Amino acid sequence: MELDLALGSYLLIEKMNNQRKLFAIVSVIFLVILAIAPFKGFFPEWKKYQQQYNDLVATLPQRVKPTEIGIKQVWIQSLDRVDRCTTCHLGISEPALKNAPQPFRTHPQIHHNVEDLGCTSCHDGQGSATDFKEAHGQSEYWDQPVLPRKYMEASCGKCHKEQDVKQAPILTLGRKLIVEYNCSGCHKIDGFAKQWVPPLDGIGTQVSSAWLFNWLKNPRGYWDHTHMPNFGIADSDANNLVDFLKSFTSLPDGSTLGTLPASLLNPTDAQKAKMLELGATRFGEARCVSCHSVNGKGGYVATDLGKVSSKVSTDWLYHYIQSPKHLLAGVAMPRFRFTDEDLAAVVLYMKNEFVDYDMVQPPEHTPDPEAYQKGLAAFKKYNCSGCHQLGTMNRAEEMAPELSFVGSKRMYSIDFGPSKIEKTLPNYLQAKLMTPHAFSATAKMPTFGFTEQEAQAITVALLANRNENIPEKYVRRSLPKSTFSPQGKFGKLVGDLACLACHQMEGNGRLVATDLSIEASQAHPDWIMNYFKVPYSLRPILTERMPNLFLSDSDRKSLVDYMQVNFIADSLDRAIQMSDSLIAHGKSLYFDRYACQSCHQIEGKGGYVGPPLDKLSTRLKSGWVYHWLKNPKAFKPGTIEPNNNLSDADADAITAFLLKQK
Amino acid sequence: MFRHGLPISNRARAESVFYNFALHVHPVKVRKRSIKFTYTFGLGGLSAGLFFILTITGALLMLYYRPSVTEAYGDMKDLQFVVSSGQFLRNMHRWSAHAMVAVVFLHMLRVFYTGSYKPPKEFNWVMGVLLLVLTILLSYTGYLLPWDQLAFWGVSVGTNMARAVPFGLGDKVSYLLLGGNIVGENALVRFYVLHCFILPIVTLGLMGVHFWRVRKDGGV
Repeated sequence: MELDLALGSYLLIEKMNNQRKLFAIVSVIFLVILAIAPFKGFFPEWKKYQQQYNDLVATLPQRVKPTEIGIKQVWIQSLDRVDRCTTCHLGISEPALKNAPQPFRTHPQIHHNVEDLGCTSCHDGQGSATDFKEAHGQSEYWDQPVLPRKYMEASCGKCHKEQDVKQAPILTLGRKLIVEYNCSGCHKIDGFAKQWVPPLDGIGTQVSSAWLFNWLKNPRGYWDHTHMPNFGIADSDANNLVDFLKSFTSLPDGSTLGTLPASLLNPTDAQKAKMLELGATRFGEARCVSCHSVNGKGGYVATDLGKVSSKVSTDWLYHYIQSPKHLLAGVAMPRFRFTDEDLAAVVLYMKNEFVDYDMVQPPEHTPDPEAYQKGLAAFKKYNCSGCHQLGTMNRAEEMAPELSFVGSKRMYSIDFGPSKIEKTLPNYLQAKLMTPHAFSATAKMPTFGFTEQEAQAITVALLANRNENIPEKYVRRSLPKSTFSPQGKFGKLVGDLACLACHQMEGNGRLVATDLSIEASQAHPDWIMNYFKVPYSLRPILTERMPNLFLSDSDRKSLVDYMQVNFIADSLDRAIQMSDSLIAHGKSLYFDRYACQSCHQIEGKGGYVGPPLDKLSTRLKSGWVYHWLKNPKAFKPGTIEPNNNLSDADADAITAFLLKQK
Repeated sequence: MFRHGLPISNRARAESVFYNFALHVHPVKVRKRSIKFTYTFGLGGLSAGLFFILTITGALLMLYYRPSVTEAYGDMKDLQFVVSSGQFLRNMHRWSAHAMVAVVFLHMLRVFYTGSYKPPKEFNWVMGVLLLVLTILLSYTGYLLPWDQLAFWGVSVGTNMARAVPFGLGDKVSYLLLGGNIVGENALVRFYVLHCFILPIVTLGLMGVHFWRVRKDGGV
């Protein structure tokens, strides 16, 4: 029987023709392949890592529990994420593996728990995947590969929509740069308001043609900190733009500049020498360099004055300092109360002093008869209205792509052109910021001249703009912007003197100098009155120092009166009985118990870390000194003065001692 | 064989054919030349075989797949990464589907070139064309289910093409297919039900008729 079977099958094979043999062989191979395929599931990549992990922890001196072989995952229902990263990254919450090789190393200390947020919420990559390449997103079909470390803070910005994210300095810098460089002039970006930029009405009487031509060609050639980008404008376009802009000679309200005083128009040599001397004095007294730099030295709040004489006309400069907001609506320059004589002197001094001797004269050109039309076309082409106000012209609609969700940009929608960089979204954004024409020679974006760090920071801030559905409970936003706006005479003065350009009041304003919201609880009214006159009496070595605004007595009184009523906090009141014993007790506490003299000076003795404490009583109120001593950081979050946990009695005593110093 | 023992008489041999489903599908007598492999290339049988594989793998995939906008893609990823042999199942289903479209089409070409559509087989030709259309529809409805970019845009394009149907019917057809005006949750459920229930049932019914006619008309 068996013999028959064997013989039968032999005869069968013998009888088969070639076609059938081939068919039989192919069938067998196919069957084997089919049988192997399901077995592949038993030898996945991650098993190897888990075995490595168990081998590793067995060699450690500390006892670390080996892992059970199997897929691990973190499921975050509210974020709709299943992250299986912990299948291989087994040591993320195991402190003993701080120095272990990846993928087993402990996760650095952060403020979030992996169990709350998962892994891919911050790191990107493909959370559901269980092999290296797919999980890290190095696959054609996964648009968000694991974020490189240098762009890591972008993920913080997905939830943290505040202006200032303390733990993410790169993100914060990026957001600041986006505002400063006015990206929203051309791009729509949610949450980024447009920045003030000088309006162009009246520019015809303001600047010289030569300066304007050079400026349009290369703004940083004049001032290397300007935020105006380089548009790579051709000479012909620049000439047309200059002719076009020079035709705008009337101010926003339709008026023109007034006349100049005779002393400024044609002074005699003797007059001139005297005026120059007076101008230099007033220029110094007014502390112009608190805000303006002069050839790079000085404040950072306003433009550089080093070469301003070659830029603006005498006429314009005189009327501008006389009434800044009349010529440039919205500018944050205070209206100094110069007398006419002083003003003429300051203008003459500036015209004489701040000349750009290296200014290149632009090539001669004959004005194009259609310069206005062509200039207007160029003005529109470069979307100048995106930033600058000119007449009633509107910014070009949809000039550039919206960036509100650029962090979720799909890879297929990015044209890398001839560029050879690795094709990822962060690389694209960074390269675009550094060299806007990297991907297309005809791209309209101008060159801002960002440094690598700046471009990285802006990339981080842009990558944070995703269209992910993040539940509101995770999102952190800035407090709503203060709507405080002082009214009445005080309000007018605050506007006129641009106080809010440096000071904050009730949350409104820029914090270059102090917050004035509780100023009247801190300083005596007499002292404030006097301070307007001699602002150098306080913090004389600071660069961004209070200028002398040459205010009239009645203006100063209005300011102080308002502050006494509004900028005061009753909770900071504290009357202290100045008795000799209390002062003596305070003195011993000051010198012996708390050793304040190691940082502060009294009568020329002590350290240099804190400010000297002589003559405090003329300025500070007792309640404020008392509360400051109790908790300095409540008033100035960044101060290095320690909180000594003073008892009420001790704080009273030290206050009494300090206020006794005359 | 199991019911009657080895067929030793002519009657028993004939009965073992009559009472066996697989053998009974074939006609009693066929022409010798049509048994030759290169005459039919076995394309009809291959189509039926692929349909069988697709039904089995499809049913197994249904155990893991949920036709919902939020879950569909994730379930696919789970099949790929964590379900035992999940990737194998998907690949089997996918490649068999591609193969089936190709094989059914080749089957139609073969029938055309051998003139097998001529009377008396003209009715079965019509059945065959319907089955080809059903195959393509099955393939197309399955295309949306992974709910990835390819699926979404593939179906967006397809249903927009349906809008081009004249006499104002286009929008209605597209609306009927999608259960709305865009490719969304409703479209996904509709395509899922079509793919897993309605179209296979109809196909199975037509396949019955098709095979029956093959047998009646004396094909292989």
